[in-house]
Amino acid sequence: MDKTVTAARKRSPAGLIILVLAAIILALLPLVIQGYWIRVITSLFMYAAMAEALNLVVGYAGYAAFGNGVFFGIGAYMTAILMTHYKWGFFPASAISGLTAMLIAFILGWPVLRLRGHYFAIATIGINMAVMEIVTYVGITGGGKGISLPLYPGDIVKQGMFFYYSMFILMLVSIAITAWIVHGRLGYGLRAIKTQPDAAEVMGIDTTLYKVYAWSISALITGIAGSLNAYWLTFLEPIYVFDIMISVEVFVMVLLGGPGTILGPILGAFFLKLLSELVWSQFTLIHMGVLGLIIVVISLFLPAGLMGLLRQAGRWRRTAPQSLGNR
Amino acid sequence: MDWQVIINGLLLGGLYGLAAIGFSLIWGVMNIVDLAQGAYLTLGAYITFWLFNLWGVDPFLTLPISALVLFGLGYLIESQIIKRVLRYGLVMMLVVTYGLNLLLQNAMLVAWSADYRSVTPAYSGAGLVIGGASIPYIRLALFIAALLLVGLLTFFLSRTRMGNAIRATSLNRLAASFVGVRTDFIYALTYGLAAATVGMAGSLISMVYTVSPSLGGTFMTKIFVVTVLGGFGSISGAVVGGLILGVTEALTASYVAPGLMNAVSFIMLVLILIFRPQGLFGKQFYGVTN
Repeated sequence: MDKTVTAARKRSPAGLIILVLAAIILALLPLVIQGYWIRVITSLFMYAAMAEALNLVVGYAGYAAFGNGVFFGIGAYMTAILMTHYKWGFFPASAISGLTAMLIAFILGWPVLRLRGHYFAIATIGINMAVMEIVTYVGITGGGKGISLPLYPGDIVKQGMFFYYSMFILMLVSIAITAWIVHGRLGYGLRAIKTQPDAAEVMGIDTTLYKVYAWSISALITGIAGSLNAYWLTFLEPIYVFDIMISVEVFVMVLLGGPGTILGPILGAFFLKLLSELVWSQFTLIHMGVLGLIIVVISLFLPAGLMGLLRQAGRWRRTAPQSLGNR
Repeated sequence: MDWQVIINGLLLGGLYGLAAIGFSLIWGVMNIVDLAQGAYLTLGAYITFWLFNLWGVDPFLTLPISALVLFGLGYLIESQIIKRVLRYGLVMMLVVTYGLNLLLQNAMLVAWSADYRSVTPAYSGAGLVIGGASIPYIRLALFIAALLLVGLLTFFLSRTRMGNAIRATSLNRLAASFVGVRTDFIYALTYGLAAATVGMAGSLISMVYTVSPSLGGTFMTKIFVVTVLGGFGSISGAVVGGLILGVTEALTASYVAPGLMNAVSFIMLVLILIFRPQGLFGKQFYGVTN
């Protein structure tokens, strides 16, 4: 464990340079591309931020938050209600939406995060469905008919830029928060909980508190992503924003990239979204099935994700060929 | 109190119970939350629909066929896919079973379209009236069929050699393998059996619900609630959980608001998980904890 941490620290300058370069390229990209691709990459950033947020709970704490999309929906609906019924501006509405999601996670976290394994996963699915049903039922949300948000003021190009850079910043922030958590006390605590929850408890870690922190931060980021997405699409329906498929897709991104790594989920999100955009955006009928197939293939052949594959490749290069056999 | 509401709830609850048994069994024996159960249920419903529609086979007579097809499919999926992913832990299992669900559901969508279809045997209209409450024969027959299947499964698990092997494996896989149980085979058998059970539930359900590829998704959420209510791994728990859910839904729909029916059952799910994660009836039948 110690060795891998120091190794990661040593390697980080090169990784950091690549990361900064990638960020600069993505920041300048709107000078070259437009329209359709701006939209595609904006949604890519959104999913990357959500994958990174989920990674905190799934990858680091080892808790299968299968219904994390509920915070996406809560953020979206909070923004919609504040902007349409109370005429708030977007930024305060978005901030409150993120904080609401965070608060809900914080409150629900105390009882729910005491559950282990399958119980927690099913509880999060239950929460997701319950909130969806309530939002559909309550009048202020527009119910099953949905709700329309005010349009972004300004022309379509400006609008595109606004959401591109907002989602971009959200993604960078989610990476920064994860990196900060991972190298701090909370990160060590979470990894201890993942490896051996009882031992972590004995060592003096308030395990529930740590998990609640991680889930709340995850909810904050997911909630703001939902809020931005609501303002971007300007129309919401419970069945769309609380769709369990959103959670599942983000889950797959985390697993594909590599849970418990800082850049894995981002990589996973880019890979899966680009693949889906390039390869099967025209075949909408089998879109779901192909996603299912990809999931099965990943689980069978790539259980440690893309980052795991990279690491494996690095290890083989360094120690080849005598230790190829042991694993 | 309106007896009609309670009776409707109970009759539906029997089906919920049967539908949840496979899920509960897999959880209890293999420690897997199997999100693909919904797709097996849908497939069972389609098997009945097509046999009835194309060859006029009586829906009740399609049960064995449904069971056989789904047992085969379940056995195949366990031995080819699930078995290989088991060691990567529960997060991976959740995702892979959901992936299978998507794949199967999509395959049915492509093959048979999203059209709503229904199975309507000649006797589906009639019913009997007892003390002011009317009971459609078909619902009663479904309820009885569901209970009979539950009885059959209980008998198999408690009285046959193979059933005992399944229970032994669920208590302790390693110990079971020491005394000569082929646990790999038992896992595949359990999974196939669970798929067959939920498939038969789907066959029964097709007679009172419209059949479409999304049928399983609706029932999946009910399966969660029923299993958590009854305590996972327990067959009798699943039946009682199913009855409770059926009655709760019927009461909510007629006395609170039809729109809140699902919300109430999901809130119930979360509350029970928080306060009584072992289910309403305490002791688990099978041994796996966590």
